[in-house]
Amino acid sequence: MRPVAIVGAGKTPFGAFPDQDLRALAVTAGQKALQNAQLEPGAIEAFYLGNFAGPEFTAQNHLAPYISTALGMTGIPSTRFEAACASSGAAFFQAFMGVASGVYDLVMIVGVEKMTCQPTPRVTEILSGAGDCATEVKAGSTFPSLFAMMARRHMHDFGTTREHLSAVAVKNHANGALNPDAQMRKVITLEQAMNARPIAEPLNLYDCSLISDGAAAVVLCSADRAREFSNKPVKILGVAQSSDFVALDQKPDITTFAAVRGAASKAYEMAKLAPGDIQFAELHDCFTIAEIVAMEDLGFVPRGRGGFFTAEGGTRRDGPMPINASGGLKSKGHPVGATGVAQLCDLVQQIRCEAGDRQLKRNSIGLAQNLGGSGATCVVTILGEY
Amino acid sequence: MQGGHEMRTGQIYTETVVHLAPERFAADVPYQVAIVKLDNGESITARVEGERVAIDDRVAETAVRDGISFFQKTL
Repeated sequence: MRPVAIVGAGKTPFGAFPDQDLRALAVTAGQKALQNAQLEPGAIEAFYLGNFAGPEFTAQNHLAPYISTALGMTGIPSTRFEAACASSGAAFFQAFMGVASGVYDLVMIVGVEKMTCQPTPRVTEILSGAGDCATEVKAGSTFPSLFAMMARRHMHDFGTTREHLSAVAVKNHANGALNPDAQMRKVITLEQAMNARPIAEPLNLYDCSLISDGAAAVVLCSADRAREFSNKPVKILGVAQSSDFVALDQKPDITTFAAVRGAASKAYEMAKLAPGDIQFAELHDCFTIAEIVAMEDLGFVPRGRGGFFTAEGGTRRDGPMPINASGGLKSKGHPVGATGVAQLCDLVQQIRCEAGDRQLKRNSIGLAQNLGGSGATCVVTILGEY
Repeated sequence: MQGGHEMRTGQIYTETVVHLAPERFAADVPYQVAIVKLDNGESITARVEGERVAIDDRVAETAVRDGISFFQKTL
């Protein structure tokens, strides 16, 4: 296996864009990534699309060639990957394998989701398709309710509090307020976060990520050729994907994500790094509790300490382990199929010192964790200075 | 007992009260959903009827309607 680098990255702002359809968003992000790598579309040898529910949201299927041809790429393999909210993480992992194996030198991954074209109850229903429809969804579980049940058990087992959950939201909103591409650039107080209307107890509105439109793209290249296309290439130090049961009730312990631990240990091994070597991270905060559990599973803090660490300020931009300096899914937005690649764009921006007001001082090794469903898929990626 | 099942019993592993639901459950809101650890060792996701339950509460199945199990708190 040979080393691989990111030579181009680009994304759309996240938000509600009634004038832009799914393909327009994907093409915008793809073009930005090509420009960033100073590449013509004809140079790309394979196209990988991450998208969760384009057909359900927009009625359009066969999305990968629908998008890659609009970007000016014809004749190349062009395939869509679906792994719920980890769809573009999964697409990225396959694209990495394509280059690492020596089959391709240059590939593009685009993640996209167009969600705001449907009313909220319908969005909730479409997202429920990432759960077990024959059991938990049939009984009335929604995605907020699955994470709410994790939160309840985590509170019961470890003493995590309502205030700890809200501390995640307050911190991510403070970061997102500085991000010009974020959907909700609004600082919130702890009091606001704790007293918002309930969605699935104990989770309230401010514990939930947003319904968003958006796209993100990266171009990968074999590391030995990276300098041909970028004066700021970023190296992929480690990447791994893991899976677990789709139904929450089949997991023996819902206060931890087995797929996160599995992907993390393989990614750390590939990178020859330990959790303590990671300087900053973008974690999959689809709900506040998910960020708390993920930081524990990644080994940043001991089990059960994620909430306490957050409340103490440990994950703020000036803390010992900055998490979601971008604003996270909570404030930046969560167009589900775009999120995995968007997290990588955020890491690239930090490593290249292009993050503006959110720029971190310790920025040479970053980790992204992309979660699908209630933890049935996880992709962990570690990026570093070239 | 509807559906011809044995009445199953177990303990609440976790629970939530749902306030925002898809259209087909909108009329039920707010409703409680729980993961029940059955005494036979299986875990299932079920609805809770009657009094709200908390982690570790004992529950018994009261009905199966449209393939959904309903449980109620017992002593």
